[in-house]
Amino acid sequence: MSLLKKSRIYSPWLYHLHCGGCNGCDIEILAALSPRFDVERFGIQLVASPRHADILLITGPMPKQILPMAKRVYEQVPDPKVVVAIGSCACGGGIFYDPENYAILGTPDSLMPIDVYIPGCPPKPEAIINGIVQGILKLSKKS
Amino acid sequence: MIELILIIFTSFFLGLFYSFLIRKFSARLQWRIGPLVFMYKDLRSIMGITRIIQPLYDIIKLFGKKTIIPESSRKRLFIYSPYISLIFAFISIFFIPFSGISLLSNVPYSLVIVSYLLIGSLLFMIIGPIASGSPWAFIGVRREAELFLVTEFGFIISLFSMAISKNSLILWEISISEFNLVNITAGLLMFTSILGKLHIKPFDMSEAEAEIVAGPYTEYSGKLLGIYYLTKIFLIYDFIALFISIFIPINTLPIYLSIPLFLIISILIIFILSIIHVLNPRYRIKNALIWYIKIISILCLINIITMVM
Ligand code: SF4
Repeated sequence: MSLLKKSRIYSPWLYHLHCGGCNGCDIEILAALSPRFDVERFGIQLVASPRHADILLITGPMPKQILPMAKRVYEQVPDPKVVVAIGSCACGGGIFYDPENYAILGTPDSLMPIDVYIPGCPPKPEAIINGIVQGILKLSKKS
Repeated sequence: MIELILIIFTSFFLGLFYSFLIRKFSARLQWRIGPLVFMYKDLRSIMGITRIIQPLYDIIKLFGKKTIIPESSRKRLFIYSPYISLIFAFISIFFIPFSGISLLSNVPYSLVIVSYLLIGSLLFMIIGPIASGSPWAFIGVRREAELFLVTEFGFIISLFSMAISKNSLILWEISISEFNLVNITAGLLMFTSILGKLHIKPFDMSEAEAEIVAGPYTEYSGKLLGIYYLTKIFLIYDFIALFISIFIPINTLPIYLSIPLFLIISILIIFILSIIHVLNPRYRIKNALIWYIKIISILCLINIITMVM
């Protein structure tokens, strides 16, 4: 494996984008980054600007009002990048979904390519870490 | 000549090691584990053997990413400032003595050269973000510039009070001169300004995440961000080596004693910095300025009294 590919696996930086939702998933993401699970052991860090990120974490059912912003944040993440949808909401609308609901898009996969789906309402931190690891493995394969 | 080539690698790896140590110590003090020194045995095939060079992996990864240059930026300034900043920080490693080895620090006026190079490097860390045209970067840069001015005040006064008391502007002569009371007072002054320059916790308001996105570096990505990280690696080494060589008289010792002593003292300094980093919340810029002005004026007064004595 080349050094560059190795470095991609060894230092994935996350950017957390909240799109609607009840905040349950966001709390679980923070739990995954807390001392108990401590993903910094493997070089995973939460960064503040999407321009620094490798992995975009999306939570929530995507209200239509936030679509332009979400698209813009997605475009701001430099290539190569991976998008991880966290929670039932981001996977398909979850409890908010209703085909007649004019305000909710449900999963954002019509907006941006999603690489990993993590179901659960909210998913456990272990599941989130597992999903992020799948994301990292996909990231190392992208050129 | 051979020393000059060796110091490039030494300073680079020491800088990497110091930034790893800051992360590791802060993690341990926060009841976390931090980047692993030895990876778990069953994960070694995927995750590597050790993470001591974690900052290097970060930098290499950033070099392999796409660099986005915003439309609203002043492109030339935006692109070249990180490089100029890196060059300044890189050149200054040659003018700072490394544990008993003088390198270029015995050229005339080396003290002035080093202070200009360090100021130049920090200045271009401010100018690049200004050219990025992002409001977050402006707020961050404004804080950074204010902090830069007050820390520079203490930094310069401590350097030149050493120069006056040792009666020399050559860094090497200062570093092998006798230890006296000014070393302690000026050392304290320098230590307080290093806190601000390296953005140790109460003074990290310019990069305040969750408040002003990523501060000055909001618009930087990919290679250019990697260059800024590289600059920071060299700057950490610069400040710590400068601090040790000026204020702690280890340069007169033979090399086999001074190199281990250098390492021990530098790790101790990093440990103290990490403790300060973990224990403190973030100051507002106003509080930081008031704190600095108070502390620096008191320390300067003590400094002058000891110099006169
Ligand atoms: S998946 Fe469940 S916990 Fe997560 S945001 Fe939706 S409703 Fe909340």
